[in-house]
Amino acid sequence: MNIINLALKEMKRDFRDLRTLIFLLAFPIVLMLILGTALSSDFNTTTEVVDIPVLYKDSANQSVSQAFQTFTEGLSDSGVHFKKATETMDGKKAVKENKYGAYIEVTNSQIKMYESNKNSIEGSVIEGMLSAFVDKYNMISTVAKVSPNALSKVTPNSGEANFIKETGLHSLKKPGAMDYYAITMTTMIALFGAMSASYLIRGERIIGTATRLVVAPISKAEIFIGKIFGGVLTSVLCTLIVVLFSKYVFKANWGEHLGIVFFVLITEIVLAISFGLGMSYMTKTSGASQAIIMVVIQLAAFFGGAYFQVEDGGGLMNNVMQLSPLHWANHAITQVIYSDNMTPAIHAAFLNLGISVVFLLIAIISMGRREGL
Amino acid sequence: MKVLEMKHLTRKFGDFIAVDNVTLAIDEGEIFGFLGTNGAGKSTTINMIAGLLHHTKGEIRILGKDVTKNKKFAKSHIGMVPQDIAIYEDLTAYENIQFFAGLYGLRGQKLKEQVEEALKFVGLSDKAKSFPKTFSGGMKRRLNIACAIAHRPKLIIMDEPTVGIDPQSRNYILSSVRKLNEMGCTIIYTSHYMEEVEEICSRIAIIDHGKIIAEGTKEQLKAIITNTKDIWIGINSTDTLDLSQLKLINGVKEVKVEEDVIKINSSADVNNLNTIIQYFIAAGIEIRTVEEQAPNLDTVFLTLTGRNLRD
Repeated sequence: MNIINLALKEMKRDFRDLRTLIFLLAFPIVLMLILGTALSSDFNTTTEVVDIPVLYKDSANQSVSQAFQTFTEGLSDSGVHFKKATETMDGKKAVKENKYGAYIEVTNSQIKMYESNKNSIEGSVIEGMLSAFVDKYNMISTVAKVSPNALSKVTPNSGEANFIKETGLHSLKKPGAMDYYAITMTTMIALFGAMSASYLIRGERIIGTATRLVVAPISKAEIFIGKIFGGVLTSVLCTLIVVLFSKYVFKANWGEHLGIVFFVLITEIVLAISFGLGMSYMTKTSGASQAIIMVVIQLAAFFGGAYFQVEDGGGLMNNVMQLSPLHWANHAITQVIYSDNMTPAIHAAFLNLGISVVFLLIAIISMGRREGL
Repeated sequence: MKVLEMKHLTRKFGDFIAVDNVTLAIDEGEIFGFLGTNGAGKSTTINMIAGLLHHTKGEIRILGKDVTKNKKFAKSHIGMVPQDIAIYEDLTAYENIQFFAGLYGLRGQKLKEQVEEALKFVGLSDKAKSFPKTFSGGMKRRLNIACAIAHRPKLIIMDEPTVGIDPQSRNYILSSVRKLNEMGCTIIYTSHYMEEVEEICSRIAIIDHGKIIAEGTKEQLKAIITNTKDIWIGINSTDTLDLSQLKLINGVKEVKVEEDVIKINSSADVNNLNTIIQYFIAAGIEIRTVEEQAPNLDTVFLTLTGRNLRD
């Protein structure tokens, strides 16, 4: 009961502290909004294909020509517009002059394609379509030679003749700017819980209430657990609010496994609280612990990709990144959301809780050696 | 019945002995004054009683039970009013008392009643929902007391509860101490204001260099120094005053000058007042007033420790 009493008191004080609310609630939301909006172009992964004009010359025999004709007609609705070149037209020149996205020469034995250097994506799109056509044609030709009876199953009239299957990126598979910063800002703010945690016990000493707590008929263990419980609950509630706000107001994608995501976040909060508490016992002054915590968090934020995406380039950078709690938390959550992969989440949770145990032990041993808190 | 017993209580910090073999007992219903200069061992003793510090040697018993073996029992019967105000500025007065009283196992209606009672006792009922940051120093001191008494302890330790407050609040606190005592609480009271201790304490102990050097009622302590007397002589000018000549007068032990008053401490059994006055007349110094001071606790303290309480 004393533990609950202490935890509730802790939460009441935290939620009445305007600075805490600004820091744990307003700060991450504002950062999400600013970074998610300002850097949205850096996360743009789609290129709209609109009206690509393609010039072609068809000098093939009837079967190939007919097949190619079917192919071009099939693409009329996809934004690629084919125009047959006249005898006098220089297709290559027209492409060089960027009048067309590509020039295609169809003969009996091969299909040649000349693409414009204006837009490589357009070229790639057409090339991909042509490859699909050629593969399909070769397959039909082979089937016709080997097993003419089976031809009806693979011909364009069979209903399976789509040359292009739209496999645009699934909306879940890659985060946009807001999705990305919703995750990184939340994990970063969760780690900032270490700052307030460094005051959990030290704060009681500073304002003198530690005396009253020690004089009361409760054990140090109850005080310790109650304070941590309160600190963790405050952070968890603030994080929950931030996550829900970003999900419903900013429409950030938190995936379909919010429970697992939140489990990772809770273990990160426990890590932050333990780290802050441990540091408060490892340093002599509050200034020293605050400075160390701030440096660690900023480095963790930088290498964890909190402010901008950090590419995993291997080597030293990769090793340093692996040391950032934000890196493993962000990676775990991203994997859960975008790949339905729970393994990194389990790894991150164990890592967070393991390190928490170390810092908590430091705090417990130091507290046990002290008279008072 | 003994509320508190200390036997051969000793506390060392490394090689430094802060409290040295202190033996003391406090009866139920006493207001016990505990006096000592800064660093004398007073706070260390109090902190050991309250459970804030461990003792190196000796024994402390609360209501007959050894505190080492009955920590929870002992703590539940003690109320501590720390010297520094120990309250949460971001909890209301009511919430502060409620939280601390809750740590003593009070719950529900009983908790509510005792919190309201404590607020009423210190005169803060109308400020129950206010935050301490809006309080004056005196009001904070009163809340500091309320947080220590809501669980109705048998023994209340008050460590300088009137530091830095206005006379009105001080009077309020002193009358509260008396009222608590009338309600059956035993109180250990420390203060740097000797007149407070003299006014409210039924028994007093003086600690110096970690040892109890005197203990008893006010009268018993004053009786210790009946061998000296204080003569205060008010003069117009100290220009021609020669203190060394005054000190040569038979029986004079100490001479101090405070503005235009010469304070002479002399043996009580030597009748030297005439000689002292004659010295002033011979030196051409005009005497305005002559007073022979009755011994008070200040004198006792000064005589026993060689220092003033506020040194």
